[in-house]
Amino acid sequence: MKKRRAYDYAKYGYIFSIPFVLAWLIFQLYPILYTLVLGFSGLKGAGNSDWWGAMLWSEPFKNFITVLHNKSFKNAFLNTLLIWGLNFTPQIMLALLITAWFTNRRSKIKGQGFYKVMFYMPNIITQATVAMLFAQLFLYPKGVINDLFISLHIFKDGPVDMLLSKNVTRGVVIFIQTWMWYGYTAIVLISGVLGISPELFEAAEVDGANQWQTFFKVTIPSIKTMLLFTLVTSLIGGLNMFDIPKLFRDGGPDSATTTTSLYIYNKAFQGGYLYGEASAASMIMFAIIVFLSSLVFYLLRDKDEVELRRLIRKQEKEYKRKAKMSRMM
Amino acid sequence: MSNSNLQLTMDGREKGNVGNIILKVIIYILCTFLAILSILPFWMMFVNATRSTTQIQATAVSFLPSKYLFSNIGILTSKNMFRPLVGFFNSFIVAAGATTLAVYFSSLTAYAQVVYEWKFKNAFFSFIMAVMMLPGQLTLIGFLQMCYKFNLTNNLIMLILPAIAAPSMVFFMRQYLVPSLPIEIVHSARIDGAREFYIFNRIVLPIMKPAIATQAIFSFVGSWNNLFTPMVLISSPKRYTMPMMVSLLRADIYKTEFGSIYAGLTLTVLPLIIVYLLLSKYIVAGVALGSVKG
Amino acid sequence: MKKFMACALSTCMVAATLVGCEKTPAVNTGDGGNNGDGDNKPAVSEPKDKTIELWAFTDEVPKMVEKYQAANPDFDWKVNVTIKGTGDGYQDALDQALMNNQVDMFAAEAAFVLKYAQGDMAKFAGAYEDLGIDVAGKTAAAEIAPYTIEIGTRPSDGKLVGLGYQATGGAFIYRRSVAKATWGDDDPAFVKEKIGGGSGSWDKYWDAAEELKAKGYGICSGDGDMWHAIENSSDKGWIVDDKLYIDPKREAFFDVSKKLKDNGYHNDTQDWTDAWYADMKGTSEKDVLGFFGPAWLINYVIKPQAESEDAVTATDWAVTESPIGFFWGGTWVMASQAAIDNGKGEAIAKLIEYITLDDSEAGLQYAWANGTFDGSGVGDCVASGTVMAKSKSAPDLLAGQNMFDYFIPANASANGKNLTQYDEKINNIFRDQVRQYTAGNKSKEEAIEEFKTQVNEQLGIAID
Repeated sequence: MKKRRAYDYAKYGYIFSIPFVLAWLIFQLYPILYTLVLGFSGLKGAGNSDWWGAMLWSEPFKNFITVLHNKSFKNAFLNTLLIWGLNFTPQIMLALLITAWFTNRRSKIKGQGFYKVMFYMPNIITQATVAMLFAQLFLYPKGVINDLFISLHIFKDGPVDMLLSKNVTRGVVIFIQTWMWYGYTAIVLISGVLGISPELFEAAEVDGANQWQTFFKVTIPSIKTMLLFTLVTSLIGGLNMFDIPKLFRDGGPDSATTTTSLYIYNKAFQGGYLYGEASAASMIMFAIIVFLSSLVFYLLRDKDEVELRRLIRKQEKEYKRKAKMSRMM
Repeated sequence: MSNSNLQLTMDGREKGNVGNIILKVIIYILCTFLAILSILPFWMMFVNATRSTTQIQATAVSFLPSKYLFSNIGILTSKNMFRPLVGFFNSFIVAAGATTLAVYFSSLTAYAQVVYEWKFKNAFFSFIMAVMMLPGQLTLIGFLQMCYKFNLTNNLIMLILPAIAAPSMVFFMRQYLVPSLPIEIVHSARIDGAREFYIFNRIVLPIMKPAIATQAIFSFVGSWNNLFTPMVLISSPKRYTMPMMVSLLRADIYKTEFGSIYAGLTLTVLPLIIVYLLLSKYIVAGVALGSVKG
Repeated sequence: MKKFMACALSTCMVAATLVGCEKTPAVNTGDGGNNGDGDNKPAVSEPKDKTIELWAFTDEVPKMVEKYQAANPDFDWKVNVTIKGTGDGYQDALDQALMNNQVDMFAAEAAFVLKYAQGDMAKFAGAYEDLGIDVAGKTAAAEIAPYTIEIGTRPSDGKLVGLGYQATGGAFIYRRSVAKATWGDDDPAFVKEKIGGGSGSWDKYWDAAEELKAKGYGICSGDGDMWHAIENSSDKGWIVDDKLYIDPKREAFFDVSKKLKDNGYHNDTQDWTDAWYADMKGTSEKDVLGFFGPAWLINYVIKPQAESEDAVTATDWAVTESPIGFFWGGTWVMASQAAIDNGKGEAIAKLIEYITLDDSEAGLQYAWANGTFDGSGVGDCVASGTVMAKSKSAPDLLAGQNMFDYFIPANASANGKNLTQYDEKINNIFRDQVRQYTAGNKSKEEAIEEFKTQVNEQLGIAID
């Protein structure tokens, strides 16, 4: 009887997943298969689609070897990791801090709604506009930052073309990324906290936990699934970073902000039309992303689950205690 | 027991008061600073939209509006290419359509992940995760080819329907549902004789409101701002989306009309801000799950 | 996958043909005799719709077509216009549309025209003679500048596939007041002598730069201004025998750029930025003598700047010969092979002839050269030498100087043979490295090495 019911409901698991699968099959499968095949062909040149004739039968992995030996691929990969790592760290710390402050039940920050709305604002504006605005700020020889630094006597010998420096440009890209995404991350985390049952906090208060204890012992563990979401999506987004580096300095100066996505795009669409190599590079990136994400899952998942189970047990205990108390009263 | 509790809170208050105030001041200062940082570019953009090209070239940044807004918009529309209403209409259809589909079907897919036990559940979840990790540049060539081959260019549908399969949103919804959907609710609804679709539409969707609101905003904004796909798919000016209109501003004919460029940018962002502020009440109020749970 | 689709498609086509065969006799009962002919190539004899798909990256060419339609009411073709900026995926979308036979006529800019006329996409271009244009006769009669034809000729069959309406030979455009303050004379012939105009070397130019510097002036705005002259003056292009080749004249740009910067001969601006415009208006702290550019730079860039409220250069300009001849920019008008196959050739030929080859006073080029096309009153250089000979452009900006005196010879000396379809990207990589060298971030050898690596890895071009 019990088994049969479970089987009945399982049907809905499939039914509810059908739209997703269908949409995916129609709109994504062909492009993906196409790229997959291209990776093993030497297809190049705009307007060329005869991949069959270009298949690399004798050395199918030629494109992969070429890409892995490209100095520019290594450079792009390191850039990507660097830019992602340096923007994710401040971003998540800022977001956690905001989450801690805003969900703190005792110090009730006023105007939270206003602040949240403001923090997410940078994400609303089209990335093209953001890139344009920042490029405007750093104009040389006459620009806002230059004027400012000269008037503050930081630049003593006249204006400096700051964006010729690799590290300054990387820094600006990192700043833009952090600035654009910390609000998003904070909102995701806060919405996670709002999903936590209030009883959990009440229980913690009853137990006499202070604010920081509550945050680290109750809030963080409860939003672990959300943290995992943030980490994984940010990792994926970060390794696919394209818009800002492309629109801000087109990957320059001297390839300092060329990310792997930009590298792939340049190979495929910017003059050379090396479709085969670009597809191979995409697949290499895909493999790297899968590997890193799996690593994150592996590192976080078990503990996560254990923690959850512990919490649920704790919660149940609280329930029982409460119930007992109410009965006593 | 109540005695010791009281002791503790009093203790906390003694020490906490000063510390709390300092902390609060720090929080307010930092949050205000971040808020200013967030709207500064918007303000600059708006101010520049009201300044003449000459003023902008003299000093790129000013905080005081000038009086050229209407003449800038006049230049903008006089060139006969920048039509904000057309762009607004198309973008709205795309963003609203894609967001609705994405939010609904992602919730549905996530619900299937959380509530039902089925054979390929875990495999399917891994599949979703894998799909999410595919680099976008990778599939672009193939997607483009497909659209041209089947004559689906210049069709807004191609910007809307693919949103049904939004893996990262499914992931988010799942992550949200796992700790916050009490399975007992589903069980008791079944006992009351509710059908599965009814349970999802009437009971689960409301529970997911905060998640849906945030994801809807993200999705709407993302869809509204998407430039790359429409750029290569849409060629008929009648189907131009708002970012494509803005992109026109960078074209040669506007090259030196800085005031108009900013006016155009402002026009694009404005509807988005309005939609955002309307939806943001969910973010702001944060319809806490607990209240629904009651 | 593709095979499967091909199968499916061919099945559909077979089915369609069958249906078509059944229907044709029924519909065409009247002229059964022509049936065989019609079945073989029905599309060529009669276009199925009288629509021309026109693609462009600005509204310039579409406006010309509109003008033609207005002047020729009996031209009963509808023109569907698609405009995409060069930064908005124009090439990506155009490539796809060409591959799928969805474009009939299109415009290509100098920066990427080689790809469509001579490179990867040339196979999709329709030859002018196949449109029904008398190429040899018309180009000779209109005296089209040789470099325009060189660029528009497809190497695989030697056929002409594209022509421009502008001529973009470049000259040196300078400020009279700066010349007068430095040398006491602002006459174009005098300034030409001072900067070594037409000498083919930069020696005198550097002497002039030194003299200007002594008076507190720069000679040009940024190194980008000189780049176009240097790029186009090289003997060979970036690729020789399928390998990357760095022409010594282009390599010398490293030193040119460094020399300009180290000696403070310029304002270190970049093209199309505020600071560059400021030098046109004369509002920078240090005034500069001039700019390298074609006639369009005067009409569409310098003029609006010089005439803006805060500018002080409204009538301060003159044109003289550049030390080295070059051209910069321009738009080529092309047709697709698909258009010819679909029987649209004749109609497109009319439009293309009107835009690129008509040397009559009723034609577009005459209007363009005399500033009556858009009513601006400023003439631009056009492709036809015949038209140029009977036109004049002496705007107030040049204080009455007829700029064609210097631009006509410039158009003749421009070189269309040292270009490749990769130039746009290679130039970007090259100039990025030059900037790194000039800024002192790396040595010349390192910069050249990095340049080679990037060209090789990004474009798949072999290097030594």
